Amino acid sequence: MKARRLPLVYPTAGFAGLLFVLGAMWYAAASQNNVAVYLLFFALTGVFLVSIPHTLVNLAGVTVTLESVQPAFVGQEVSLPLEIVNDSRATRHGIELALSSPDGARRRIDYIPARKAARVMLRFPARQRGEHNVPTVCLTSAYPLGFVRFLKKFASSHNYIVYPRPAGEARLPLSFVRRHDGRPLTEFGEGDDFAGTRPYVHGESQRHIDWRAVARGQSLVTKQFTAEAEGVVYLDFSALPSADLEAQLSQLALWIIEAERARRPYGLRLPHTEIPPAVGQMHFHQCLRALSLFEAG
Amino acid sequence: MSEGTRDRSIPRLPLLWLAAALLFTLPPMFGSLVSWVPWVFLLALAMKFWMEPRGYRLRFATLKLLLAAAALFAIFASYGSLKGVEPGISLLVVLVALKVLEAHTAREFQVMVLMGWVLCLCGFFLSQEFEIAVSLLSAFALLLVALIQFHRGSSPGVLWPPLGTAGKILLQAAPLVVLLFILFPRINTGLRFDLRAGSSANTGFSERLAPGNIAALANSSDIAFRAEFPGRTTMPPGPMYWRGAVMWHCDGLEWHAPYVPVSIARSAGQFPRGNTIRQRITLAPHGARWMFALDRPFEIPSGAILARGDYLWSVQTIRKARRYEVVSSLGTAGKELTPGERREALEVPAWISPAVRELAQSWATQSSSPRAVVNSALQFFQSGFRYSLSPGQYRRNDLEQFLFHRRIGFCEHYAASFATLMRLAGIPARVVVGYLGGEYNDLGHFFLVRQADTHAWCEVWLPESGWTRVDPTTAVAPGRASLDLNSFLERDIASGQMEARQSALVAKLARSALFTNLRLALETLSYEWDTRVLAFDADVQEVTLDSIGLANRGPFVLIIEILIVAVALLVIYFGWMQMRTRSRADRVKALYEHFCRKAARLGVQRNPFEGPSDFSNRAAQLLPNESKRIREISNTYIALRYAPEPAGTALDSFSREVRAFGRYR
Repeated sequence: MKARRLPLVYPTAGFAGLLFVLGAMWYAAASQNNVAVYLLFFALTGVFLVSIPHTLVNLAGVTVTLESVQPAFVGQEVSLPLEIVNDSRATRHGIELALSSPDGARRRIDYIPARKAARVMLRFPARQRGEHNVPTVCLTSAYPLGFVRFLKKFASSHNYIVYPRPAGEARLPLSFVRRHDGRPLTEFGEGDDFAGTRPYVHGESQRHIDWRAVARGQSLVTKQFTAEAEGVVYLDFSALPSADLEAQLSQLALWIIEAERARRPYGLRLPHTEIPPAVGQMHFHQCLRALSLFEAG
Repeated sequence: MSEGTRDRSIPRLPLLWLAAALLFTLPPMFGSLVSWVPWVFLLALAMKFWMEPRGYRLRFATLKLLLAAAALFAIFASYGSLKGVEPGISLLVVLVALKVLEAHTAREFQVMVLMGWVLCLCGFFLSQEFEIAVSLLSAFALLLVALIQFHRGSSPGVLWPPLGTAGKILLQAAPLVVLLFILFPRINTGLRFDLRAGSSANTGFSERLAPGNIAALANSSDIAFRAEFPGRTTMPPGPMYWRGAVMWHCDGLEWHAPYVPVSIARSAGQFPRGNTIRQRITLAPHGARWMFALDRPFEIPSGAILARGDYLWSVQTIRKARRYEVVSSLGTAGKELTPGERREALEVPAWISPAVRELAQSWATQSSSPRAVVNSALQFFQSGFRYSLSPGQYRRNDLEQFLFHRRIGFCEHYAASFATLMRLAGIPARVVVGYLGGEYNDLGHFFLVRQADTHAWCEVWLPESGWTRVDPTTAVAPGRASLDLNSFLERDIASGQMEARQSALVAKLARSALFTNLRLALETLSYEWDTRVLAFDADVQEVTLDSIGLANRGPFVLIIEILIVAVALLVIYFGWMQMRTRSRADRVKALYEHFCRKAARLGVQRNPFEGPSDFSNRAAQLLPNESKRIREISNTYIALRYAPEPAGTALDSFSREVRAFGRYR
């Protein structure tokens, strides 16, 4: 992440208290002509002024790196895995992290030794579906005295995806079931009854691959169970009762989740996109991504 | 590398530092405030340590209000009013104690540190002595440490790391403090607070000399004043009698000075006879108007008058250390005695017993001259009388008791009775109260005169020499005049003439070389503090600024100048600290990137993920003329980058290689 703009130094709330105390000291010294109180006043002023470069140096050499961000559903929280790296030769203390988004989380790191890093997970709620730019990370420190705060902002060109909130009818649509062959359908529900093998579709779980058949020299086949015997589910956007766009996308998202859970291959059909049926993590995310980025019209 | 939220209970370690710091703010309170206040504060601190790990705190608003009201009432009862510095500070101390008990979130820690600094401020209101200043400035530093430790959170290091950071900050702040001390404009806002007089002072004499007053001071090691003799390399000749006040009114063993000293006009015909001696005196604040000088002052400092009887009297009450120069004449000043003064100097109370009158008369009739009367009286005191710190109780009309029956007393008894007898014998006499002697500090080259050295002696008017000093105490204790009281008593104790006042062990410790040197060093530091730091008020500042050429600048100009220097200093500190903590790897990487840029200019662009050796091979192929240089640089870079701690020289040679690369020969 690159530091953005000039860093900022500003007084904290405690600074008001300090000003008050300094004012009281000055007034007491001036009215009494009390040299010792003057000395105290000068000492406190000097200490405060000198603490400012200390605060500035405390964030020197501290950078923020962002690892890849996992997608999240609307209503959940996006987790930003940040790594705060201390490139300098001194320990840095009292670093606070916050996100510039309004309800961003705050975290405090007490110390990072020289040339080490600290890992922090900053979470913020995902509000809107789609692809968003990672919010700016604000790195602040008020060490050592807490009267002055130094702020460095880090922006990133990383993006993160928010999937639509899954909602709607949980059961997979019946009418979209098509079978490879003409065998009668079974209704909903899952079963563990072994129901033969079928060719392995790339991307799905490898748990059920029939290795013995492979050892015998056949190509990859996977065992199916009753649920799978029902065949592929096609999730078609155009076939949804037309309602609110977001509701439609939410319904599709829920079906994708359910289909993945039932390990039924599913395909997605959107106005400008068609994703052939498959099962597995990559396919799952590909479909959901398509839903997130879907633009009406 | 831990995370943590801030609003739980106050972490224990900063609280410990805070408590230690607050302890150091207590010493001036014990001396000047009513006694229960600092104890309440200590109790609150101790309770906080018991309460904090258990999560208890002062919670209920009504309880807090009740306690605050109780404190208000108690302070009013102790002082008699709520107005004034001591009641105000007492109230503040109790409120801080309540706040300490109440604070539970970490955010309030900063507030408590600020309050601690305010307590330091209050301490300086009450006293500015060197020892107190050391204590309060230590409190200031410890509060800084507490605040730093608080912001460190759970970083490792309990003792030295926060102390180290605080020390660094204080060291860096020192030049700024000196700069501010010298340049910051000291303006007078005009509003004054009045401290209760006498709270920090005990001069031992007032306008009244009563039997037992001076003896009571004999154990006090409080400093009365310090004296230097500028321009002299030898000790002043003879015993040092420091003149403080002159008592004209006789009441047996009690004497009074006039309540309002009258300034005398010095007529032109009074040339001082004999040697003159200049003294520079630093007077500890005593809340009264006494000023001291060697017998007899004639050239007086500004701000003082010479009162009837040739003693100094300050125009303003002395509330802080006062430094002044005065010139005294060691010879007697021949003065005429006006009839009114003669009458006054012969008055005796009517109740004096016949036996005493007879004694005085017998001297008067037997002697041919006033001086012979004086000698007879001195002879009378030389035999059969004893000098003691605890001679027992005397009332003012116990003169007969003292002279004929008990015959034991301290200097005030001898002086009072001698002067009374002189008056009875028809010789004008008066009592002078002041100090006798002093301890020489050869580290700082000054004389230290303590309250214990308070002394009373007499002056009689002789036709040939005017007011002449006669010290009856020397008839009883001959060695007293040449030493300060402590040394004199030591000598007497050692020779068995007096009972020891302290245990033998303590006395032995007090005499040991180490303790004496420490004590002298401490007294010298205290003296320097008084004369260099505390004396630097607005007037001295004006003079100093004049001498360095910054005369007549308005306050704003001075502040702006200070700000400019301060900003420059801060920038220097920042640059230096950043240089020191910058990682060398940065520099190595920066140099390598510089090299890559140069190579790019020559036509070989490094891919972002290409490793240094890959790039070196590729570049060497594409730029055969520079291949040797390229390989050298790449090898050095690899060695530096992945070496645990690169040597400084390797870095320098790498830098040179990179700089030389691509230059046309």
